[in-house]
Amino acid sequence: MFGFLKKKQSASTAKDRLTIAIMSDRRKINAYPFMDEMKAEIVAVIQKYIGVKGVEINNEISGDIEALSIEVQLDK
Amino acid sequence: MGVVIAVISGKGGVGKTTASANIGLGIAQNDKKCVVVDFDIGQRNLDMILGLENRVVYDLVQVMDKEASLRQALIRSKANPNMFFLAASQTKDKSVLESSKVQKLINNLKKEFDFVILDSPAGIESGYEHTIEFADVAVVVVNPEVSSIRDADRAIGILDSKSQKVKEGHDVGKYLIINRIIPKMVQSGEMLRSEDILDILSIPLIGKVPEDKGVIDASNQGKPIILNKNSGAGQAYQRIANRLCGQDIPIYDIEADEKGLFSKLAGMFH
Repeated sequence: MFGFLKKKQSASTAKDRLTIAIMSDRRKINAYPFMDEMKAEIVAVIQKYIGVKGVEINNEISGDIEALSIEVQLDK
Repeated sequence: MGVVIAVISGKGGVGKTTASANIGLGIAQNDKKCVVVDFDIGQRNLDMILGLENRVVYDLVQVMDKEASLRQALIRSKANPNMFFLAASQTKDKSVLESSKVQKLINNLKKEFDFVILDSPAGIESGYEHTIEFADVAVVVVNPEVSSIRDADRAIGILDSKSQKVKEGHDVGKYLIINRIIPKMVQSGEMLRSEDILDILSIPLIGKVPEDKGVIDASNQGKPIILNKNSGAGQAYQRIANRLCGQDIPIYDIEADEKGLFSKLAGMFH
């Protein structure tokens, strides 16, 4: 009877999309709880040879391939 | 010793500063001594919302660096003598914050106030981490909207890993405020329902605040909305503040308010 009421209810779309996005966010973040510790150790190792300002480790996932990219910023 | 409450959100522009100001005043109206601290170093805003921008002489960075005493930097609210305000620095960058200095400042505030409310910067960078590090409780502000909820979840994740209380093996309290709810849109299925948001974030709700045009008017005047007893948002903030002070007040179902087109039409044909 009321055609306009049959419009897709976007709130339920929002809930579905959010649930999936947040699950994937949490998985990525919690995957490696040792990240801070590892970062500190990497800094310590490189520090033996050259001054280090900071280390960034990023987790990149593309399809089945997962990679950690480690960026070392030197202190000059 | 006072309770330290960090007001956080992840995403910017969801009403964090407004929430901090109103919760602070609401707590003061419970006859508790309360200080609201602007932790958004470099982007001072809370002073405007509180209408205290002309009274700021010293900021929290100057207190931390011992260029000013706490007594000199604290500004008493015009609206309620129980409430005080500590301004953010405008000239300095958030990188000036150091854990030890932040901890010392917060400890000093806890000695003098029943409640210490920290208005966190948006984002999940170092400024945010310093705000949550020594908090007993976090109040998470979200809008019923996907980006706000996703960012809030990230902020909660960081809270759970970086909070001092968690590191010491305790729990950090987490409470959710859903802000800017438009009842008509929830009723017609165009806006996420509170239950859905709670399902996703799984932290307890401490209040629902309706979208209220009066909030802009309030910030124009520097008189927080809670001072307007007729305002829906103001009443919602008062209930939140009362709950934080330990009063047992049931959550008011604001989504059922002002029936929208859908329910009116549906009602007509029933």
